[in-house]
Amino acid sequence: MSTAYPLPTNLSKTTVANTASLLRIVALGLISAAAIASRLFAVINFESIIHEFDPWFNYRATRVLAAKGFYEFWNWFDPTAWYPLGRVVGGTVYPGLMATSGVIYNFLHAFNLPVDIRNICVLLAPGFSALTAWATYMFTKEMKDESAGLLAAAFIGIVPGYISRSVAGSYDNEAIAIFLLMFTFYCWIKALKTGSALFGTLAAVFYFYMVAAWGGYAFITNMIPVHALALMLMGRFSSRLYVAYCSWYAIGTLSSMQVPFVGFQPVRTSEHMGALGVFGLLQIVAFAQLARSHLSSKQFQNLLTVAVIVMGVVGTFGFIALTYMGWIAPWTGRFYSLWDTGYAKKYIPIIASVSEHQPTAWPSFFMDLQFLIFLFPAGVVLCFRELRDEHVFVIIYAVVASYFAGVMVRLMLTLTPVVCVASAVAFSSLMDTYLDPTQPEAEGESRPAEVDASAASNGSTASTASKKEKEKAKKPAAGGALSDIVAATSSSKKSKGVWGLDTRLVVIAHSLLMLGFFVFHCTWVTSSAYSSPSVVLASTNADGSQHIIDDFREAYYWLRQNTAEDAVVMSWWDYGYQIAGMADRPTLVDNNTWNNTHIATVGKAMSSSEEVAYPILRKHDVDYVLVIFGGLLGYSGDDINKFLWMVRIAQGVWPDEIQEPNYFTPQGEYRVDDRASSAMRNSLMYKMSYYRFAELFGGGQAVDRVRQQTMPKTGPTLDYLDEAFTSENWIVRIYQVRKEDDLGRDLKSANAFAQGKKRKRTKPVSKRRAITV
Amino acid sequence: MRLPSLIPFLSLFLLSSVWAAPKDKGAVRQQLIDLSAKGNGVIKLDSKTFDLLTLPNRDWSASIQFTALDRRRRCAPCKEFDPSWNAIAKAWTSTPKEHRDNHFFGTLDFDEGQAVFQKLGLASAPIVYVYPAAEGPRQAPSGKTGPSKYDFSTGFEAEPLAIHLSNHTPIPIPYKAPIDWARWATFISGLLGFALTIRFISPVLQSRWTWAAITVLTSLTMIGGFMFTRIRGMPYTGPDGSWIAAGYQNQYGQEVQVIALIYGTLSFAFLMLIMIVPYQSSPSRQRMQVYLWSAVVMLIYSVLITLFRIKNRGYPFKLLL
Repeated sequence: MSTAYPLPTNLSKTTVANTASLLRIVALGLISAAAIASRLFAVINFESIIHEFDPWFNYRATRVLAAKGFYEFWNWFDPTAWYPLGRVVGGTVYPGLMATSGVIYNFLHAFNLPVDIRNICVLLAPGFSALTAWATYMFTKEMKDESAGLLAAAFIGIVPGYISRSVAGSYDNEAIAIFLLMFTFYCWIKALKTGSALFGTLAAVFYFYMVAAWGGYAFITNMIPVHALALMLMGRFSSRLYVAYCSWYAIGTLSSMQVPFVGFQPVRTSEHMGALGVFGLLQIVAFAQLARSHLSSKQFQNLLTVAVIVMGVVGTFGFIALTYMGWIAPWTGRFYSLWDTGYAKKYIPIIASVSEHQPTAWPSFFMDLQFLIFLFPAGVVLCFRELRDEHVFVIIYAVVASYFAGVMVRLMLTLTPVVCVASAVAFSSLMDTYLDPTQPEAEGESRPAEVDASAASNGSTASTASKKEKEKAKKPAAGGALSDIVAATSSSKKSKGVWGLDTRLVVIAHSLLMLGFFVFHCTWVTSSAYSSPSVVLASTNADGSQHIIDDFREAYYWLRQNTAEDAVVMSWWDYGYQIAGMADRPTLVDNNTWNNTHIATVGKAMSSSEEVAYPILRKHDVDYVLVIFGGLLGYSGDDINKFLWMVRIAQGVWPDEIQEPNYFTPQGEYRVDDRASSAMRNSLMYKMSYYRFAELFGGGQAVDRVRQQTMPKTGPTLDYLDEAFTSENWIVRIYQVRKEDDLGRDLKSANAFAQGKKRKRTKPVSKRRAITV
Repeated sequence: MRLPSLIPFLSLFLLSSVWAAPKDKGAVRQQLIDLSAKGNGVIKLDSKTFDLLTLPNRDWSASIQFTALDRRRRCAPCKEFDPSWNAIAKAWTSTPKEHRDNHFFGTLDFDEGQAVFQKLGLASAPIVYVYPAAEGPRQAPSGKTGPSKYDFSTGFEAEPLAIHLSNHTPIPIPYKAPIDWARWATFISGLLGFALTIRFISPVLQSRWTWAAITVLTSLTMIGGFMFTRIRGMPYTGPDGSWIAAGYQNQYGQEVQVIALIYGTLSFAFLMLIMIVPYQSSPSRQRMQVYLWSAVVMLIYSVLITLFRIKNRGYPFKLLL
């Protein structure tokens, strides 16, 4: 057999195998290092700080857990959140993330390594990304082989779609959830392949961990049943499937119910009914199989078929009846909005208002996955070529996840692993073909017929059957590049191959180019787009150096040091967790958006006039109101841009008092300048944002840099609030709510009186002095 | 001699005094009830009857559609919305009389009440105003008597409108969406057709490549951003005829097709390199194909990068192009 390039001949098989396994370990180590290192941009560019919004709550909870222990955490009632309602944190949280950090913290401290809990929290996500790479390697190895596994691990290690949720400091549930997702899937595939109850149980254990860690566990809860159902429909029911599914479902469901936040949901909500239904179906099918193997009578078999169908129908109707009777809750809003995409906007504006719940445009897909996005369909087709049980899983996963990722930006995270796996399968198949040194003999008498059959890749069963045989014939040879060397030394005859060295070089060159480009792309995206903590902002000076904008922390620390410890701060819910975490003050609403009415109350206060808002503020004991204003700096994520959502959410509860169209100009524009509608100009939010803004320009044209509109010369006035603090770049503005007038006047007339008086004569100096004792 | 001519004059005077006297609510109400019954639940308003319906001391509530149904006005949304409105008003006629006569539905066409449109400062149509009762037991607790506007953000469908209006009517509007017989017919005939042809198409359905095609096409559509264009209701092309929308978080319908085609071509090229090229029998043909598909990959990939640079201006990398 001729080879395209010379091969060493004096290597024994064991040497090759040992070297290969050593190289694999080294490669996995390097991949882990790259995965961790690329997530540290945030720490290097900024500092070791917790990012964004939700992580601040997780961090706060973790601190409680580390300081007071698990039981305190479990029973923690937080009176400062959702003032005056409070929040039972232990029962309304997925504790997996905090527990993980707590365990690491206690473990390190047991070895007398006094690591700060903050650093554990900051670095947890990068650490787990290395584990994700390993889990993806194991998973892909089951799909194809080790070389594909290594590629998949490398892809998921640095792909921006996953980095976006797991940079250092992004201390969120997703940080550990993707590892758990992939490892649960790996255990499931392994259990299915081997029919081992051990792996089924392992899958259940990791499923439990996943349930404790992330609300997205419903994805596993539905993916595995759908896979099992598809296998049954394909006529691939086997005892392996039965054992794997039943051990996973029974143990997984029972253990998942131990999480207080989940409770009885697994038997009462529609999200979980699919898993239960497939479990029941499996019992019926297994029973039918068993009975059939013991019976011979034709009639009895017919009876059995009828019985099975009747059982299925009764089960379905029972399910429907239970739903109608209210025993089974319908889909939750967040889940339902995945199917009926107009649902959220109509009925739950709070879900629609979150930016990560927006649909995904194609540039986001390309940004997050780059060349993997077009290798991925090729990988799916390759899965169809082999179509073992585990390939069915990847195929279903691919379709479902690509739909979900299209509907919601945040679900790009669940698409990323399958894209990495499928494209690694495709890429490693390409490498296998073109690195393989063996050249086919150029005889080709008997081959053309075969070539045509496969070239057409048509749907006729005859050609697929012949192809399957072909696959079987070449399977021992189709290993990784290294195993090909092993295969080449043994004289197995192959029906396919590539001639010449130049063809190999061309393909390998452009493949390497793409890989290299991918690395550059990932590095650029990670460093420029995904590593901003959003608590600290960065801008570039004229000379190219970095300028740090630290208004958020400045304002939160002002609150912490200058206000009473029980002073209630009202802000839009986005900032609730940050205020609780950094300023340590009670808040009305926060990012745990469980009470729509409470949020709508805040929305109403923000969007009504001062006179209407004041009683609301007083009734809720609000001492300070915090708004985010980007008009001076051009920070587009400010409250005026979020304002319409506040109006919409308030309108959902008080449709008579707050109406969205009132906040637009008659021409239907959203304006803040002198053409703004009166509802807009009188709203508390507008007044707080632009209070004294025009003065800043010293008589010149005041320009809002976010909305590019010229502000009127005389800005709004405030009667019921006092400006308490405005941060350096005006991003955070804090107002103090005035107490009721001492003389019982309403504050507006009191103000007018005070001002009117001031014009006539200056305030007399007090003659009386405090008596010093 | 003069008497006969006076009678019509007198009666006219009496009649006009009824028109002019807003105090007599009972008569006005009766008139509205008659008008409503005549119009199948909807009162066809003009400037005069509009003033009656929105009497300052009314103890009934009213919801009024301002529209422009005349062909010359070219108001397509008006035509789209009108059936929903009439269906709701029709549903209201089935309520018990004591409730029905406390809320009225009216339609004011632009051509019959230009003065009203001007008075209310309405510049567009359709618009729905709800006038709460200004007096009597059904007066709003807030004491508000002015109209409130219905927000069309949920579309022109009758269902959400009925739910919204039910907040203002004495009892909820018993509106039920009519059964869409056409849809059911298509569904059942589709099912039947499937059942009948299953014997012939089952080999196709059992072929893995059918499913592969379905899977890959679905995935390609989704990663082309199809759901974005659907949820956001993006047009197929821009207003100026451009097919590629500016901005990173934006896209037109045509972009889905172009991007899916590009991804599909690239995938196909890779599949050719993996699945087909190695099975070629002649070395020269194989070599040609390798070069061909490699060139296709590099070229299309460069095009893709160029497109991405249009969407994301700050992207620093580029390939051949």
